[in-house]
Amino acid sequence: MNIHWDWIAGNLDEIAGATLEHLELTLIAVGVGFALSLLLALAIYRWRRLYGPVAGVAGLLYTIPSLALFAVLVPFTGLSVLTAEIGLVGYTLLILIRGIVSGLDGVPRDAVEAATGMGYAAGQRLSRVELPLAVPVIVTSVRLATVTTIGLVMVTALIGEGGLGQLMLRGFNRGFPTMVYVGVVMSVVLAVTLDLVLVGLQRLLTPWARKRTA
Amino acid sequence: MPEQATARAATVEFEHVTKHYERREAKDGALGAVNDLSLVVPAGKICVLVGPSGCGKTTSLKMVNRLIEPTSGRILLDGVDAAARDVTELRRSIGYVIQQVGLFPHQTIAENVATVPRLLGWPSARQRQRAEELLQLVGLDPATYATRYPVELSGGERQRVGVARALAADPPIMLMDEPFGAVDPIVRERLQDEFLRLQETLAKTILFVTHDIDEAIKMGDLVAVLADGGALAQFGRPAEILASPATPFVARFVGADRGLKRLSLRRVDDLELLPPVTANVRDMGTADLLRALASSFPWLLLVDDLGRPAGWIARGDVRPGVPLADAPTVAAEPLVDRSATLKDALSRLLDADVHAGIVVDRERRVRGLVTVAGIAALLRETAGPDRGPGEADPLDLGDAMP
Repeated sequence: MNIHWDWIAGNLDEIAGATLEHLELTLIAVGVGFALSLLLALAIYRWRRLYGPVAGVAGLLYTIPSLALFAVLVPFTGLSVLTAEIGLVGYTLLILIRGIVSGLDGVPRDAVEAATGMGYAAGQRLSRVELPLAVPVIVTSVRLATVTTIGLVMVTALIGEGGLGQLMLRGFNRGFPTMVYVGVVMSVVLAVTLDLVLVGLQRLLTPWARKRTA
Repeated sequence: MPEQATARAATVEFEHVTKHYERREAKDGALGAVNDLSLVVPAGKICVLVGPSGCGKTTSLKMVNRLIEPTSGRILLDGVDAAARDVTELRRSIGYVIQQVGLFPHQTIAENVATVPRLLGWPSARQRQRAEELLQLVGLDPATYATRYPVELSGGERQRVGVARALAADPPIMLMDEPFGAVDPIVRERLQDEFLRLQETLAKTILFVTHDIDEAIKMGDLVAVLADGGALAQFGRPAEILASPATPFVARFVGADRGLKRLSLRRVDDLELLPPVTANVRDMGTADLLRALASSFPWLLLVDDLGRPAGWIARGDVRPGVPLADAPTVAAEPLVDRSATLKDALSRLLDADVHAGIVVDRERRVRGLVTVAGIAALLRETAGPDRGPGEADPLDLGDAMP
């Protein structure tokens, strides 16, 4: 393995730029995907019969090979960030919807019954009892979606986006492996960092989940 | 203990309340139907709904805070139809305790207790203060418990928190669905005793669901026995239900040992005590003593100078002219407290050499004897639908019976 450290030293700006772009594409995809999934999951939680159709569509999206999906979208939305994000968001839905629904399903029934019986209105109960208690499961699904998205962002290099994917693609084209290695290492660093941030966020949000049983 | 007592309590009145379940609903819940239930729970009383599973007792309870809506009939709280009230406002004014407690795992104990005050928008300082008062009330030190999470508490402690949470906004009515069902028997008994003591000052109107007839008898001022299909089989004071079950179902449900169960409802105080034949430990045996023993309980009770029991002497060992101190004595047992239940007293009597309990006052002075015959006589006297002595009836149940 022949790494050109001098290239790395001379192109830190480009590496940082590609990493930031990769991060940005990931965060937008997971953020928008989460917002959509939350709405859909709450609708499913309320009207259970929606679960089959919604999960079916999200599952279908998930099974389309990423390259094919982007290729299909390009005639409509061009070689753009929008095209990339539509695909990326689409891939997060299945994981996030399932995660949020099973998080809500896992809330202890007795806590929900007590909340209702003591006079929580439905909305209050959702925001103050059910969602907070679903946080651990929801965060787990967000971690999974995030790591998956970081991988998929690589593929968007083929439609002119891609952050670190661009770096790798150019490395392949020029027969210059150092760029490929940098792309791989930085994407792993990105994935691990975001995962740790999410774990930290969960610990912050759920101090109660760390307590030991009496 | 902080100032707690409020006179606020409300009557709860079921008027021909019926709940039918559609077949689809019946399938996913094991909730029983209720069939034309009419009864009145007077303000400040504990009414226990008891019956086999599927008899509709929990359904009846949940119709009060409208977790379940009746198919027909009305439930009146202090004369106002529950169905006419705003449902969240109604629920916030009714304390609710369930078997699994349902504490919020993500909130501290203090936050859990302050749930309804928070929903009612009390200032946070007052919420905190109220939570501490209530923890104290249920015997949990706020300094230790307020900032803990439910998962850090034992089952019994959680149940106490559940009761504290239900009392937080001082509701006039409490609904308790098998509140002590999930803890072991020793803890359960302690929680029951503590709760009855609390209720003496709180005087809430309480609807209490259990499947355990012993708990029903212990906790209830009134007991409603529900039969399969959700029909009211009998409604009355525990002693009445034990003494004269209205139907064969009730008789079976209260059990063949209902005579023994009645013993736990009465206290030594209710008995007319037998005056013992007593003598000072330094006295001589006399013919008078022998005569007295012949016509009374056949054991002589020795007492010391302060009137405290010192020992028993059998009639056959009392001899005129011989110092009693020389006669063989049996230890002065069993001592029975005046507030003991007849069940406990009887159990002590049967265990002892001398089958009479020595009832003593606070200074351990002898007040009288309780005997097996005396206990049996009291039960005979109060058998049947008429009320026992000293049970003046504050409840008018005339309209409540079906």
